[in-house]
Amino acid sequence: MLLKGSKDVERLKGELESRYSRFDKEIVITTNATCCKLKKSKEVEEAFSRELKKIASTKKINMRLTGCLGFCEIEPIVIINPQGILYREVKPEDVAEIISESVLKDDVVTRLVYTSPSGSAYANKADIPFYKKQLRIVTGNNDIINPTSIEDYIAAGGYSALARVLETMKPDEVTEEIKKSGLRGRGGGGFPTGKKWETCLKAKEEDGVCYVICNADEGDPGAYMDRSLLESNPHSVIEGMIIGSYAIGSNEGYIYVRAEYPLAVEHVRHALQQAEACGCLGDNIMGSGHRFRIRVSRGAGAFVCGESTALMASLEGKVGRPRAKYVHTVERGLWNKPTTLNNVETWSNVPLIINRGAGWFAGIGTKGSKGTKIFSLVGKINNTGLVEVPMGMTLREIIYDIGGGIPQDKKFKAVQTGGPSGGCIPENLLHLPVDFDELSGAGSMMGSGGMIVMDEDTCMVDVARYFINFLKDESCGKCVACREGIKQMLHILERICGGQGKEGDIELLEELGAYCVDTSLCALGATAGNPVITTIKYFRDEYEKHIKEKQCPAGVCKALFQYSISTDDCNGCGACRAKCPVEAITGGKKEAHSIDLSQCIKCGVCFDVCRFDAVKKVPLKGAVL
Amino acid sequence: MINIKINSVPLEVEEGTTILEAAKKGDTPIPTLCHHPALDSFGACRLCVVEIHYGKRVKIVTSCNYEVWDGLEVFTDTDRVRKSRAMTLELLLARCPDVRMIKDLAREYGVKQGRFSEESDNCILCGLCVRICKERMGVGAADFVGRGVDMKIDTPYSRGSDACLACGACVTVCPTGAIDLEKRFSRNEPVPLKSVFNAGMSTKPVIATPFPQAVPNIPVIDSANCVYLRTGGCRTCETFCEAKAIDYDQKDETVEVDVGTIIAATGFDLYNPEEKPEYGYGKYPEVITGLEFERLVSASGPTGGKILINGKEPRKVVFIQCVGSREEGGKREYCSRVCCMYTAKHAHLVKERLKDAEISIFYTDLRAFGKGYEEFVNRVKDEGTTYRRRELNEPIEVTKKKGKLTVTAKGHPALEADMVILATAVVPREDSLELARKLNISLSPDGFFLEAHPKLKPVETLTGGIFLAGCAQGPKDIPDTVSQASGAASRAISILSKDTIMMEAITAAVNEAKCRGCGLCVEICPFNAIELKEINRLGYTVKVASVNEALCKGCGSCSAACLSQAVQQKGFTDTQILEAIRGIV
Ligand SMILES: Cc1cc2nc3c(=O)[nH]c(=O)nc-3n(C[C@H](O)[C@H](O)[C@H](O)COP(=O)(O)O)c2cc1C
Ligand code: SF4
Ligand code: FES
Repeated sequence: MLLKGSKDVERLKGELESRYSRFDKEIVITTNATCCKLKKSKEVEEAFSRELKKIASTKKINMRLTGCLGFCEIEPIVIINPQGILYREVKPEDVAEIISESVLKDDVVTRLVYTSPSGSAYANKADIPFYKKQLRIVTGNNDIINPTSIEDYIAAGGYSALARVLETMKPDEVTEEIKKSGLRGRGGGGFPTGKKWETCLKAKEEDGVCYVICNADEGDPGAYMDRSLLESNPHSVIEGMIIGSYAIGSNEGYIYVRAEYPLAVEHVRHALQQAEACGCLGDNIMGSGHRFRIRVSRGAGAFVCGESTALMASLEGKVGRPRAKYVHTVERGLWNKPTTLNNVETWSNVPLIINRGAGWFAGIGTKGSKGTKIFSLVGKINNTGLVEVPMGMTLREIIYDIGGGIPQDKKFKAVQTGGPSGGCIPENLLHLPVDFDELSGAGSMMGSGGMIVMDEDTCMVDVARYFINFLKDESCGKCVACREGIKQMLHILERICGGQGKEGDIELLEELGAYCVDTSLCALGATAGNPVITTIKYFRDEYEKHIKEKQCPAGVCKALFQYSISTDDCNGCGACRAKCPVEAITGGKKEAHSIDLSQCIKCGVCFDVCRFDAVKKVPLKGAVL
Repeated sequence: MINIKINSVPLEVEEGTTILEAAKKGDTPIPTLCHHPALDSFGACRLCVVEIHYGKRVKIVTSCNYEVWDGLEVFTDTDRVRKSRAMTLELLLARCPDVRMIKDLAREYGVKQGRFSEESDNCILCGLCVRICKERMGVGAADFVGRGVDMKIDTPYSRGSDACLACGACVTVCPTGAIDLEKRFSRNEPVPLKSVFNAGMSTKPVIATPFPQAVPNIPVIDSANCVYLRTGGCRTCETFCEAKAIDYDQKDETVEVDVGTIIAATGFDLYNPEEKPEYGYGKYPEVITGLEFERLVSASGPTGGKILINGKEPRKVVFIQCVGSREEGGKREYCSRVCCMYTAKHAHLVKERLKDAEISIFYTDLRAFGKGYEEFVNRVKDEGTTYRRRELNEPIEVTKKKGKLTVTAKGHPALEADMVILATAVVPREDSLELARKLNISLSPDGFFLEAHPKLKPVETLTGGIFLAGCAQGPKDIPDTVSQASGAASRAISILSKDTIMMEAITAAVNEAKCRGCGLCVEICPFNAIELKEINRLGYTVKVASVNEALCKGCGSCSAACLSQAVQQKGFTDTQILEAIRGIV
């Protein structure tokens, strides 16, 4: 099946459509991504296979094994088409019932439909609030594509953008189109993609050789948009890269993906083979004469290797350590040649823009930020998952309308965007739209799309400590500002959390944060101050409480409180006594229990197991929390 | 050319110049820690930050790796720059509170300790060692190990590296002295290059001027130890030499020159006192030779002129004269002639620098024979130096107990000493026999070159045109050497100044037809005037004697010895003499 141009692509697409239309029904099972695999989707898939064999003579059913549909919280998801019924957290034992009710008949198994935190049930995927407010243009095809099938991708319109570009557009016209679309890099920096390509093309004219790289290093804690895209729709990334290679005249590309993403690597490698077999990659792509190949390089999982110069050093086989970028990588990048590096999501957007036009894309979003952005919505939120929203949507809409708010009716405290180098945004700024410039203005950043929601039980000093600790582990250690600056910030934060904070610590942290911004070599160090600076900016009182009163208002910093059992509330059920790992709790049956503080390791198990709220956190100084 | 402004002062520099290089050209100081002109810039220490202005934007950049562009405005000492540098130094000071140069820099920027938790490292991870080893030496024996705050510089598996050349480049570039090459980096033992001129008491670089005021005063590369000549790496000196004078292709060469006369002024060696273990030389570092002491007190010496032994000023100093000289019936029966006076001088120098030093000199006979010498010795005695006589056949012993030296000599109390200085004998140069053979001159029984006549021809040798000067002929002090050298020079000049030289009227001549080529005359000629040469006699190549008339003194030894009467004195052949006798009779 060699594709020699748009005619072939269209013909194949037509063939596939008519092939699919011959089926009576379609069962979509999310089983081709890490998140669902972890939730035993394979067993569900096997159960369906078994059951479907039994009815094969009566109904023609297509089983489509897709990647991630974003709503990871309720996976494995099964969708029955054409009705569009969505079943959540399906187990093998549910399969027979689904087949008899929804496949053989058109009924709904009510007990398996999604119920929102507020209690409303939704049978149809399109009605679920989580999906309803999203604009899934990049991830939208995930539920009609089996990531290991290039045919599914082509049936969904894939590779038609590439065919169009090769047949009807000159390289600079492609770049122009991307420029017009207003697409900005999704990897964190938000640099205009078309401008990057243009500079690279110019530098390439002098040098003759240039490279295309896809950055799939994705190291932010809690973020997995890129993994999900590569696992669920690898061809969209590959097609974007091929179009990019044509625009800048490159013959060699790399996908730098962390080795901790084995499934993504597998799907990408498989997709590359298929693409080459179809003539979408190779010496003469679709008969156009354009030559381009992509290699997969697996990174060892250092956060800093996502930084462009470190990534390129790593690709060259050197230690992944950044260098100064006074000469940009688009001019001197991989092996000192002009290099275009873009994020997974950025590349995925490219075929869409070509297919639907720069104007359409530029119509979505805000003045400075066009298109959509995928966020991984995690933390204290009801609907954990990947959400794709148009730029300009407010944080509140994402958290409450799509994310379903905070579990257990706790109070929202802050949302952290931009990964470890981003910042924490407080409640009173939830009206901020997701927009590169607005988020930077608030001291955070868009980053690659991590969005961690925190509730009232979160200590903001502890959050800053957590991120700084992450950065301490991930700093490459090359430059003094980042290595020593982060180390000292961590010392100070640990001191504050440990009840040893002193007057002047806040100011010293601010000074160090500002110093890191000014003096660090790469963006890791230059943004390392953000978690500290924003938490101080928006939650200064919490710092002061820790330092002056030696209290942790959220009851997180263990050195600042102790557990105690209220004799009034304890009815002596013994649950805590049974669970305490160091046997520090004593008390007879039906008698109030007590904790031997000299033994207590403050693991908090008693606090969690007590159903009567009898276990209290008592500040070492001050009142009961 | 590119026009920039540094602190508002216009400057024109070449394209590709970094801000740091431009600032250097404009004499604007910028502190650096990880920069080295011979290495690629690294940009790690962040101390070299400066502020750049373009349009309305102001940015902090590191000057060591930021290339200038036309119209660039740089400010090297703004508040923001100073603040950044001060914080860098404060952080480094917390990491390395004991490193001198960080302390000094911190003080310069008004940084005080105390705000941060301290460690006690002395490596600032500037990476100079790693980079010079990799980039220049082409070895890469050590590298950064680990990441982030755990990063350190180490060899693979923390084991001494086999690949390490022990060249010491890393130690040289390390700004904090953190590298222990021997214990940590290398499995190969570093061999410090001893400065021969400083009697091995200091080290020298591979490329160095042999000694101050050397002629010519030009550095030379020690080719046996130069890393470039050994492995092809390094070439660092080339980067630094602005005159582009480094030439790695130069080789030792043998030069042949035609000369009319030769003056053998090859000097002397010093007796190795290790041959007399009783003095403890080589065993105790506190026992040194007079020459070593000479370097120790020299302003250009290893201690810059401070008298230090084991890093401390000695309080009790003992000199011992005649070490190896005047051995009755031994190899060196002669007096070395200079030791009495230089020991007196040394005693005077000790007194001059260390007022309270207690000085004793063991001597055998005080030979203060020159002009003003006796007076000088008396002055030294007056300064408080104790002269103690000892007999040469009564050995002196130097021993050490609990770190203290004791000098025991018959008839004297045992003396404690912090330092013992041996006046070692002047001995003929090791190669004097070889040279004598080459020049065809003789050695006297003591091994020095033999003069033609001890009284009448003290600068000549028995070989015409070859003269002697200085200690090559026998121990002597500087005034004597200068006098003899002047004599030798004028003798040489008197030959060289003439267009023709007068030969002996009567010289030997060979009758080639008679000569059998036995070579007896060649051996017998005291002036080396005869050699064998090849001639063609009736179609055969035969050897016959040939006389160098310039050397022949007409002494007649050859003609007396010749068995075939082939060598005869010109005008005095046997026939002529016999005829003359017959005529008279
Ligand atoms: C410490 C650090 C980590 C980064 N990690 C990633 C990453 O995991 N994925 C990514 O796409 N970009 C990452 N970036 C941003 C890249 O340097 C680069 O800006 C981006 O890949 C460019 O692609 P874009 O223009 O499409 O965003 C990181 C940057 C820094 C400073
Ligand atoms: S800022 Fe941090 S990660 Fe970046 S080069 Fe410096 S030490 Fe390495
Ligand atoms: S000298 Fe420029 S960063 Fe170290």
